[in-house]
Amino acid sequence: MLSRERVESVLDRVRPMMQADGGDIELVEVSGNSARIRLTGMCSGCPSAHMTLYMGVEMALREEIKEFEELQVV
Amino acid sequence: MRIPTQFSIDQVVVGHSARMRAIFDFVKVVSRSDSSVIITGESGTGKEVIANMLHHQSARRHQPFVAVSCALFSETLIETELFGHERGAFTGAIKDKPGRFELAQGGTLFLDDIDDVPLSMQVKLLRALQNREVERVGGTRTIPVNVRIITGTKRDLKQLVTEGKFREDLYYRLNVLPIVLPPLRERREDIPVLIDHFLRRFSRDRGIDVPDISPVVRHAFSRYRWPGNVRELENACERIVQTCTCGTVRVGCLAASVLFGATSLPDAPALPAMEPPKSISLDDRLKEVESNLIGWALKVADGNKSKAAELLNIKRSTLGDRIARCGIAVQNDSSEPMQASA
Repeated sequence: MLSRERVESVLDRVRPMMQADGGDIELVEVSGNSARIRLTGMCSGCPSAHMTLYMGVEMALREEIKEFEELQVV
Repeated sequence: MRIPTQFSIDQVVVGHSARMRAIFDFVKVVSRSDSSVIITGESGTGKEVIANMLHHQSARRHQPFVAVSCALFSETLIETELFGHERGAFTGAIKDKPGRFELAQGGTLFLDDIDDVPLSMQVKLLRALQNREVERVGGTRTIPVNVRIITGTKRDLKQLVTEGKFREDLYYRLNVLPIVLPPLRERREDIPVLIDHFLRRFSRDRGIDVPDISPVVRHAFSRYRWPGNVRELENACERIVQTCTCGTVRVGCLAASVLFGATSLPDAPALPAMEPPKSISLDDRLKEVESNLIGWALKVADGNKSKAAELLNIKRSTLGDRIARCGIAVQNDSSEPMQASA
């Protein structure tokens, strides 16, 4: 089972930039080897941002955590 | 192919870097000459743009400019592509076809990816350049050609010569006027100018206003390595113009590779301060702060509202009102701890 800390450590790589731009990523839940995140702040309503961050964060998670399965943006 | 159909000098951005200014000055000088030019630069650094400039500033500008990538063709095909063929030279050669040399007659021939030309073909190329004439495949007559030769290479040809992969005699024939284009990461000071240029161009094409760019995005662009150089930056800008929905480019608009690439660089300079937003809604902001703090308290209190109210120094009933007002979903009953997920 995946720990929140490991997921958070990957999210922390992009957080400083997101926060400097008035947004953030919130880790809603980790269950099994999957995670759910939520975009907050400036970019939260933008479909392009959802697509970008969804792809980017999932790619980074899979790279760093071999057993990672699925990311959901809620 | 990626040859721009309508090239104009105005489309070219010079930038601030001393290296690019020196290159453009050199281009101005050598465009008057007819000598061979060899342009070395990584993929996407603008070799073809420079070749185009050389042609369009030369006395040959009213004659054809023909660009061909030598990497596109197999060893046998490249010969017919460059020199042409006669009818019946091989199966499928149903009519005479002029080669690129003939098509560029009087003008400029840009041979890109010259480092991909096989050794056997290099001999034929050298002979064509030395004698200034070509012979079509399957033909017997020689055709005199008057073309200026510009070559492009992504690898250092001198190095290929020492490795025995490129003919020395051809190298010296081509290497009269060398131009070396720096990768974008070595002239980062030009990135802002290029961003503005490309955003303006793509916005105009799409008929929308040029979007604002947040300082954080500029920062990320300045730090990213740009392995695909200017072409990659151009594509990133096109993507932004096509996908931005709010009129301001923020980190969310960036391609994932740029975003993560910019954050993984070592010796990262500090992030720029956030620009004051043009206008904000105080009520919305306060609500956001309030719901964040209530969320925090509920989390710390394991979902117990009485404890959360204590943490926030408000009454239990007030907390209930505020939770309802902010529309926070409380999943668990106050007495039960929130689902632990670790």
